[in-house]
Amino acid sequence: MTSEQITIGKSGAPPGARPRWLKFIRKYYIAYLFIAVPLLSMIAFLYIPMIISFWWSLNDYSGLQAARFIGLGNYIELLTHDKVFTKSLVNTTLFVLMGMGIGPTLGLLTALLLNQKARFQTLFRTAYFLPVMTSLVVVATIWVMLYNQNGLFNTILVDLGLSRVGWLSDPRYSLFSVVIASVWQGFGFETVVFLAALQSIPKEFYEAAMIDGAGAMQRFWYITLPSLRPVIVFVYIIGIIGSYQVFDQVYVMTSGGPVYSTSTIVYYLFTKFRDLRLGYASAIAYILFAILVIFSYLQMRLSRER
Amino acid sequence: MNSKKFLFSLAIVLALVLSACAGATPTTQPQAPAQADTQAPAASQGEVTITVWDYYGEATPVKPLVEPFMKEYPNIKIKYEALDWDTTLEKLNVVMTGGTPPDVATVDMTWLPHFAALGAFSDLKPLSGGQLNGVAWQDAYTPGALSAITYNDQIVAALYDFDVYALYYRADLFEQKGLQPPKTWDELVTVAKQVAEGDKYLYEWDPDTFHGSQWIYENGGQLLSPDNTQVVFNSPEAVDAIQFYTDLLLKEKVAINWTTDQGERIQGLKDGRIAMFSDGPYNMGIMKSAAPEMAGQWKVALHPYSKQPGSYLGGTGLVIPSTSQQKEAAWKFIEYAMRMENQVGVFTYAGAAPALTAALESPEVNIEDPYFGGQKAFAVFLETMKTAKPFPYVRSWNDIDEAFTNAMQEVSLGQKSVKDALDEAAATSTDALNK
Repeated sequence: MTSEQITIGKSGAPPGARPRWLKFIRKYYIAYLFIAVPLLSMIAFLYIPMIISFWWSLNDYSGLQAARFIGLGNYIELLTHDKVFTKSLVNTTLFVLMGMGIGPTLGLLTALLLNQKARFQTLFRTAYFLPVMTSLVVVATIWVMLYNQNGLFNTILVDLGLSRVGWLSDPRYSLFSVVIASVWQGFGFETVVFLAALQSIPKEFYEAAMIDGAGAMQRFWYITLPSLRPVIVFVYIIGIIGSYQVFDQVYVMTSGGPVYSTSTIVYYLFTKFRDLRLGYASAIAYILFAILVIFSYLQMRLSRER
Repeated sequence: MNSKKFLFSLAIVLALVLSACAGATPTTQPQAPAQADTQAPAASQGEVTITVWDYYGEATPVKPLVEPFMKEYPNIKIKYEALDWDTTLEKLNVVMTGGTPPDVATVDMTWLPHFAALGAFSDLKPLSGGQLNGVAWQDAYTPGALSAITYNDQIVAALYDFDVYALYYRADLFEQKGLQPPKTWDELVTVAKQVAEGDKYLYEWDPDTFHGSQWIYENGGQLLSPDNTQVVFNSPEAVDAIQFYTDLLLKEKVAINWTTDQGERIQGLKDGRIAMFSDGPYNMGIMKSAAPEMAGQWKVALHPYSKQPGSYLGGTGLVIPSTSQQKEAAWKFIEYAMRMENQVGVFTYAGAAPALTAALESPEVNIEDPYFGGQKAFAVFLETMKTAKPFPYVRSWNDIDEAFTNAMQEVSLGQKSVKDALDEAAATSTDALNK
């Protein structure tokens, strides 16, 4: 078959009568065939389900009883009546703000420190990256033990003569506790990415700057930071998209409680799915999708500037 | 000729992709021919296979039934699947909306409102001919248990083990201090004060509907009106009940708020943080296996009340999903599991309480339990069952449960007064109920 294909490609058709696009397809059809396989599977397993899910979001649908078309009813209820959804939206945004505030900064600091010619450098790099490779569920379970009433943190507090803190059972701290555990698990990724970027900045820049008498802060501000710009944008895009979908930690550590203080968008979606409110859950998914599209667009614009 | 070849290759690619897609959605295919099997005569000829989902785990009373059942019914094969509680709930939700359902499943009775309201389970009345192993349904169970398995005049589950809440207490401490188990709420406060020593030996406080409803029932209140159309858990009796319960925690300080970050309860029993708690008979089995060294220290009594005894009624039901294709065979298995000798297995294997009244009163179950100081512990739970009632069967039960639990949490944290919290939860629940 292959030999024939080659001859087809070579011989082609006499130019003239046939439209150009057809000629184009004839010339490259093998390539199109190769593209067709992943494309069709994407259509079957991604785009069609997405469209069906969008249709569900316009219906009151349980999967068991016939769907009832209610137009934008689910969306209106979510955005105007559902206090828990609003709370989840706020919680998720706070989670993203805190996580993205602490995580990448910590990652950059660690990367700067690791970029020094210190001893045991590889050991440290491995150590910081290990939590990233560990399952989030495992990490969350360990942090639950640390946060427990009789866990490490409370034992230290009691030994210091202070009273116990309900890290996960007091709604004032619970979201923050989840953020800390998540940052601990994730910032190793940012460290490694920043470290790779730091090492690709040409040394000549720094040498030239030093000859011109630039101090350490100036070198960081005028060389390191601008050079890292694309990487910083990348880290934030990935980070924000990932953080908005936070689920595992919440599921393992708090189940969204107490009093919805750690309920997030995807966790809330999950509870609605569990109640077989498939239309409602789909509407939540589409609101999340819209948020992520907006963020991605803004960030793409941001990265294109200059 | 060229275009022919092109079309040919395209057809092959399409065929490959389509066959891949078809492979991923096998559920729609086998259902059609299987439908024919359920027409009774065809089923009895050939061998049928039923799938059984069991959430009991290690100490399951269901698995030991599989082999003897297949011996007795050689034309029914059982595909047994061991799951856990969470997985069963999630898998049931998934298969209900498109997938291959099991033919028999163990379900927590608290799931029943949600599933039954969606019509997810078969009516067992016609399948059983109105009888469970020759006994009419209404004679096999207590009235409370019967109402727990009845929805819209259909029997949607066979209650297999039951759960009602009674008071577990440290009999050894009570004896030391010359105390009797409390019979009324006021006695509970007095007794709890004498048992407590700082932050040890407390009454376990749980912010959930199981416990909250018990206090409300005991004070003559209800969760919903009898016809399930109105939320009444913010009635004066209910507010007083939750106020009394909360006072144990915040005012009298004789209770410990057992939030998830306290760890496993069994740990609290062992290290002495808990001296009293309210829970179901299944907990006896857990204590025996997880805290054997505490044998003789605990006893069980009716939970104290102010006006009348009360408890939620739950447990494990055996159900046949309405999409099952082998309902006849599935019913045979359920009926087999409900035979007296097999019901006793609920106690001997799982340490839980068999749901049939006759099994509960049988000498194998109603024993003097050495772990509980020679007490006939099941008698206490059977007594409790007489006045217990299931959670209301409404489609929005999960929302109501969530709103109520939430109110309990707010109250325990001192964020809101009992009245405000319950009023708000009632408003949320009313919305859910009217949807």
